[in-house]
Amino acid sequence: MSHKWGLVVDLDRCTGCEACVVACHAENNIPTAGADQAERGRAMHWIRVERYWEGDFPNPRIRFQPVLCQQCDEAPCEPVCPTYASYHTPEGLNAQVYNRCIGTRFCANACPYSVRFFNFYNPKWDMPLQLQLNPDVSVRSVGIMEKCTFCVQRIKSAEIQAEAEKRELKDGEFTTACAQSCASKALVFGDLNDSNSEVSRLASSNRGTKLLGELGTRPNVTYLERGTWQDAKNG
Amino acid sequence: MERRNFIKISALSGVMATLQACGSPEQKLIRFVPEEELIPGIATWKPSVCTLCAGGCGLLVRVMQGDAEVVRHGQNGLIKMGLAKKLEGNPQHPVNRGKLCARGQAGLQVLYHPDRITHPIKRTGPRSSGEFQEITWDDALKELASHLTTLQSSKSTRSLAFLARPLRGQRHELIERFLKAFGAPPAVWYEPFDEAVLRQANLLSFGHAALPTFDLGRADYVISFGADFLGTWNSPIAQSIGYGEMRQGRPGRRAKFVQVESRMSQTGANNDEWIPCRPGTEGALALGIAHVILSEKLAPQGAGSQAGSMIAGWSAGLPDFAPEAVAKQTGVSAAVITRLAHEITQSGSAAAIVGGVPLAHTNGLFTALAVNALESLVDTGRDLGPILGFTPEPPLGDATQSAAPMQASLASLKAWAQSAPQMLLLHDANPIFSAPPGAHIREAIAKIPFIVSFGSFIDETSALADLILPDNAPLESWLDSIPESGSLQAVASLAAPAVLPLHDTRAMPDVLLGLAHQLGGDVAKALPWTTFDAMLRAAFVPLRTRGGSINAKTDDEFWDAAQAQGGWWSTPAQPAGGARSAASSSAPVTAAKHPPMAMAAPEFAGSATDFPFYFLPYVSQSFGDGSLANLPWLQELPDVLTSAMWSSWVEINPRTGERLGIKHGDLVEIASQQGSVRAPAILSPGIAPDMVAMPVGQGHTNFGRFASGRGANPLSILAPLAEHETGLLAWAATRVKLARVGGPEQGKLVLFAGGMSGFPHEEEPR
Repeated sequence: MSHKWGLVVDLDRCTGCEACVVACHAENNIPTAGADQAERGRAMHWIRVERYWEGDFPNPRIRFQPVLCQQCDEAPCEPVCPTYASYHTPEGLNAQVYNRCIGTRFCANACPYSVRFFNFYNPKWDMPLQLQLNPDVSVRSVGIMEKCTFCVQRIKSAEIQAEAEKRELKDGEFTTACAQSCASKALVFGDLNDSNSEVSRLASSNRGTKLLGELGTRPNVTYLERGTWQDAKNG
Repeated sequence: MERRNFIKISALSGVMATLQACGSPEQKLIRFVPEEELIPGIATWKPSVCTLCAGGCGLLVRVMQGDAEVVRHGQNGLIKMGLAKKLEGNPQHPVNRGKLCARGQAGLQVLYHPDRITHPIKRTGPRSSGEFQEITWDDALKELASHLTTLQSSKSTRSLAFLARPLRGQRHELIERFLKAFGAPPAVWYEPFDEAVLRQANLLSFGHAALPTFDLGRADYVISFGADFLGTWNSPIAQSIGYGEMRQGRPGRRAKFVQVESRMSQTGANNDEWIPCRPGTEGALALGIAHVILSEKLAPQGAGSQAGSMIAGWSAGLPDFAPEAVAKQTGVSAAVITRLAHEITQSGSAAAIVGGVPLAHTNGLFTALAVNALESLVDTGRDLGPILGFTPEPPLGDATQSAAPMQASLASLKAWAQSAPQMLLLHDANPIFSAPPGAHIREAIAKIPFIVSFGSFIDETSALADLILPDNAPLESWLDSIPESGSLQAVASLAAPAVLPLHDTRAMPDVLLGLAHQLGGDVAKALPWTTFDAMLRAAFVPLRTRGGSINAKTDDEFWDAAQAQGGWWSTPAQPAGGARSAASSSAPVTAAKHPPMAMAAPEFAGSATDFPFYFLPYVSQSFGDGSLANLPWLQELPDVLTSAMWSSWVEINPRTGERLGIKHGDLVEIASQQGSVRAPAILSPGIAPDMVAMPVGQGHTNFGRFASGRGANPLSILAPLAEHETGLLAWAATRVKLARVGGPEQGKLVLFAGGMSGFPHEEEPR
């Protein structure tokens, strides 16, 4: 059976600790832009935690929302790419083929989630910081786009291992770097084609919504809405 | 040029270049023989211990073979070695159960930091000039030993001082033993945000001088008084795991979470109800709730009487804390107080938490005792025992002191500074950055004739050192840790070095043990081990007969298993045993008789007319007390409430901004009686109009390429006010005034939100 990878973000569990953000940097060799470039909006975070304030003191409310590539089934980034660098894998991932990319940035323009990042410079690590680089993930050079891959290196490595051992992949056998670090279990990754997987069970929750679902992008990331104190009391 | 000539010239210059490289040894990289066997491309996972905060989480380090430039026997060269590539939580570890926070993830950059001190250095220029020269370990150790023997022969061993960040485990034991046998006073442990006030309160209320462990996964109602328990307070990973459970881990049962504070913290942002409360009156609010519970008899008879006995008027039903009276003090309405009392007692398992900001006032101990009394009144453990418990001490060999290291109080830090030590050993603490200017720590340290630092980095304090003997990075070291909280099992974490040293550094414990051996006499007798792992083994092996997570027949087998597992932990308590009884293996201590305390109004430095704002310097989610500000991943991590990166900022209420003509991004100046700092303003609805807040961590003047000269240090304008009962720094007790001094061009606020703009700082259309 082929896989269809998906992620559930439980907004009721998310605490805004941002462990996922640093875990992603460490896993995926994301360059640090530095203060000057960050000031020009060139910092890269494949996953970020957004915040939405409502109301005023003394009754302010804030909601956190981790946003990463939604790995859309109908991805707006794919048809606009003149070199087929943004393409759809058989397992439902929006892949970015780095050596096809010529840096038109059309995909970043088309993406409604602002989760694609452009390399304005060749990345640079002051020696010996380059030793932190993950050898399973290629370092992107100047002029190309990059984005969340659902840790495709982890997916591939687990699939190869399972194939070598002539068995099916087990749910929870591996996960993405962000989900692995998440202490409150707000992020759950897995195979949506496996109806018994935790991610399938959670994705069908009645708290589930899609980010900008009305655009018809059909994301594979499902957000579970925050609960309220009254919900718990009544239900 | 003719083709033939061109070939000649290029051949000649090629040969010249090669010859030149041969002539200068620094351009010649030798390839060393690998010291370990590794298969290329295959990752191994080695347990380690996270040292980036005091939580004591267990790590798994992903180690893969790679090429690194290293120093061996004083020579640079290339070697194929195991390199740490990623840090994950250790799934077996009872505190963090496979999870790891943002700071913990960045531990990798401590190991590979480009500013690490790579070999021993000796000061050549004036202090703080940054002029050092490289020396050999032999010469460095000779110099250190000769200073120590001079102290011994002049009978002034008491003038040796040791200043360090609080440590738990065998490093702590080693340092204290060394000092005691040498005849020096005990070490001064300094960390500005250490929760020593809460430890003292827990000793008085519950008989445990330790931070609490909350089993939040079982809670139905949690009220937290200022504790940033999902971010920076106590054991954040363990608490976040429990938080996830109490929200969505039990179908159909979702806990309510109430946060009391006047500036919304990352933890407070997750509230179901947020209650701003006048700073320093949180204890009164807790007792107001307790008053309603007691007068309406909402709790079982006698509940909370032990912790309540520390509060004056408890047995009489807290007559001074009727909701109307409390409402006047706290600004929280009487109706809300009464409703909270009803909700808490009607909601199954409830817990009250206190920590952080409310305890950093002059009446912090009273506030902690008041919330502890409320906690034991409502956390009666009707299901499976109370939510609050304490982590038992692991029964390590006799080498272990059970007492947690006490933070140096402001008074004792001042007294220490005045004692004029002749020699200082410095390990990881940076009080020149983090102590208030009124404590005059810089002046005191600058007067010490001989300073030795074991630090890996130059910071504001170690810049004054005469000799720097760089420690190995944590991932290159033997580590142990005894988590103070975060688990109801006794835990003793242990790890062998995950990777070999990159640089010409030596483990601080090994250096001390070597010195002890060289000094001989009592010091050598007190520390008979030649290496730190031998000392660790002596402490850990007695655990073999205590059951728990390791079943081993011989000591060798036990020692290997402990390293493979990342430590030893006791068997989990039966759920029916409940939290408090699980902790019973560490018997509660009866505290020295302490009279019940009455509410004292909080004191602030600065009058309300000249300095109209409360000033809150809060612990940074990224940098802790500032000691992690040199890690680039954490500098570029957007603050979750503001999305600010690489900078400092000041949070002010939009109404205050409007009144003072301050717009988002404007440069503002905050001034206290002690001095002033400047930073860009962020208008935030999550802060009281009479308060300004600033994250701690930036404003380093001398802390490497990523942190130096960036932002401002709010600790540098704190008044040296202390908590009255314990003498600890009251870091939330300063008042300030606020003024706009420039526009966004001067403010230079760096935000991640808002995306890309061709013209940074361009005014947004309004």
